[in-house]
Amino acid sequence: MLIFSVFKTLTDQQVVVELKNDLSITGTLKSVDQFLNIRLDNIKVLDEARHPHMMAVKNCFIRGSVVRYVQLPAEHVDTQLLEDATRRETTTQIKR
Amino acid sequence: MLPLSLLNAAQNKPMLVELKNGETFNGHLVNCDNFMNITLREVYQTNAEADRFFKLKECYIRGSTIKYLRIPDNLLDVVKEEQNRAREANRGGRGVVTGNRGRGLPARGARGTRGGPARSVRGRGRGA
Amino acid sequence: MSSLQGYVDRRVFLNLQDGRVIIGTMAGYDQKSNVVLSDSKERVYSMEEGVEEIPLGLYLVKGDMIVLIGEVDEAIDQSVDLTNIRAEPIPAIRY
Repeated sequence: MLIFSVFKTLTDQQVVVELKNDLSITGTLKSVDQFLNIRLDNIKVLDEARHPHMMAVKNCFIRGSVVRYVQLPAEHVDTQLLEDATRRETTTQIKR
Repeated sequence: MLPLSLLNAAQNKPMLVELKNGETFNGHLVNCDNFMNITLREVYQTNAEADRFFKLKECYIRGSTIKYLRIPDNLLDVVKEEQNRAREANRGGRGVVTGNRGRGLPARGARGTRGGPARSVRGRGRGA
Repeated sequence: MSSLQGYVDRRVFLNLQDGRVIIGTMAGYDQKSNVVLSDSKERVYSMEEGVEEIPLGLYLVKGDMIVLIGEVDEAIDQSVDLTNIRAEPIPAIRY
């Protein structure tokens, strides 16, 4: 749930999504849902010469379950805040 | 158009089902549920290598093992038309007490007689 | 919900976990991202010859099998001569 919130704060930022089929796609993060499904705008596939399959695709929906990594813009992630929030979340979970 | 309304309307229609392991099943849909568990009748089963064939009188397929289903083309129009009709009926019947106001399809059973001749689903997904 | 809203009745590109590429018109979808495509065709890529298109018709794809769905810009798509495209197929998902 926390990571979902982090992604929500990153909408309209530029990200790179690496998939479990080794495809890397860069684009503007338009939205995320609870499954971490991702909507990207103005996409570009890395190494387009090798991957011409998506030449005519400008925006896409990526299933959360096939995402390996998302590269985030470091300047837009407050890691201190994220650490604190993580600690808070785990302690509340232990209490429950 | 919800995937499940299309599947529900595909009862008694021919279809091709490919499983995640690559096996395919050609048959007529007997029944389905919301998990997409299905039963087919008069089934031709093909293994993933497409070199062995089996004929089954009836079979049950767990929804979670399905990759995709290939359905007769005309079914989409049939269901769309049905939904339009249901909408019309609801509009026309405003003020009249019916058991089905506002949303949803008419009761099942009104269906099944309409629609063109059931075209068989030919061929497999890959050239084969 | 980062949903598939906006894609209904549009021409879409669909990549499956086994690496297949299907182009079709999105007729509908549900919460589990199960998808209905009409007038769909598979695009088979290879290094030896141009892209082969295999007509598939009406297709219901289970959400579990989907990797990516993209909106196809039809003007760009039609300007591409598929017979000139040589490319490896998209690899299957490996966990």
